[in-house]
Amino acid sequence: MTREEAQILLMDYIYGELDEAKAQELKLFLETDSELKQEFEGLTQTRSMLQHLPVQSPAEQLVIMEPENKETAVPSENWWAKLSSLFIPQSGFGKTGFAMATFVFLFFVMGAFSDMNISVGEGNFKMTFGEQPPVQTGYTAAQVEMIINQVQQENAEMINQYVLAAQEQQELQFQQTLSSFAEYLDTRRESDLELFNYSLTSLEENTYDRFRQTDQVLGEIIQTVSTN
Amino acid sequence: MEDAQLVQDFLGGNHQAFNVLIKRWQDKIHHFAYRYFASSDDAAEITQKTFIKAYQKMNTLDDASKFGSWLYRIANNLCLDELKRAGRKRATSLEALKTAPQTEVASSADEKLVRNEALVLLHKALLQLPNDQRMVVIMKEYEGLTFREISEVLDESENTVKSRMYYGLRTLKKTFDSWNINQEVFNYD
Repeated sequence: MTREEAQILLMDYIYGELDEAKAQELKLFLETDSELKQEFEGLTQTRSMLQHLPVQSPAEQLVIMEPENKETAVPSENWWAKLSSLFIPQSGFGKTGFAMATFVFLFFVMGAFSDMNISVGEGNFKMTFGEQPPVQTGYTAAQVEMIINQVQQENAEMINQYVLAAQEQQELQFQQTLSSFAEYLDTRRESDLELFNYSLTSLEENTYDRFRQTDQVLGEIIQTVSTN
Repeated sequence: MEDAQLVQDFLGGNHQAFNVLIKRWQDKIHHFAYRYFASSDDAAEITQKTFIKAYQKMNTLDDASKFGSWLYRIANNLCLDELKRAGRKRATSLEALKTAPQTEVASSADEKLVRNEALVLLHKALLQLPNDQRMVVIMKEYEGLTFREISEVLDESENTVKSRMYYGLRTLKKTFDSWNINQEVFNYD
């Protein structure tokens, strides 16, 4: 073993990372090289002095994961809001379109139940509900006019009812959406307040620790000065 | 439970596994940073940043069994970043330390005071080491990492790490000699 080889192995030997055979070989070599042996002893002593270095541990856990339920929680939505969000568009334009489509759908469904009849011809558009009145050629003009008026009045009332029903449904949906949004805002606000409180607490504790350390250092300085 | 299993659990969605890792490694990372900067505030900041970065980058950890080395690498990089950020301020304070220490000859009356002073000087001597040597000395002497593990953390060869350790110890020895600090000072307990 040369002196250079021995120097390379010195660190492994000091920290016990050298296998038994190599360690024995190095040990024998050190007996023949007093200078290297002296260096080895000096470094070993330096190591033992380093072991006296004090250290501070944090008083508490410095990083804390949020509880899992909070982390995975979504803004509070009830089952109806979740279900409706699957079928009802969330944008304003989508909601309007959906409401119109619903109205048309309901209109035709109710029309089907009430035997709605639509006919276009000779510049006229005719839409009737209920059974078609039998064509009676024997009606007078006054009777025909009365029937027409009656049918028109019934149609107007029915359409009016349909419009009111659609409006009520829209209002109900709008209120539910508002309610969901308010709950989401509340949850968000609570979460922000919790975070703010936690930050304030951490800041307060850090400030206290710094004051304490400052006091401690000042005390040591005063003690040192007074002793000298 | 092993670190590797906790890492796998965390990657599988169990975020509480990360809490266990924090509890297990917090003190080690804090001690590492404290010895590097000799400041509780800096150590706490580096510790927090280390775990936040580990949380964000856990999916980039190739070998879960090397979580410890990976965590030290993050802490090491953050320490170097902090040095760059506040380099001028720290350099000034270290410069002042070079001329400060002159230990007195201890009498029996102030043995305890001398010992306390020696402990302060011990830390100052460590702070005066070049960064690369100081990092290796702390990891080896205080964190108990093997030379192989340190080489993985620093992404350097084992021989380079051993060389830094050797020169670090030699420099410390010279500093202790010049400040008249010896083993006897620490035997006053």
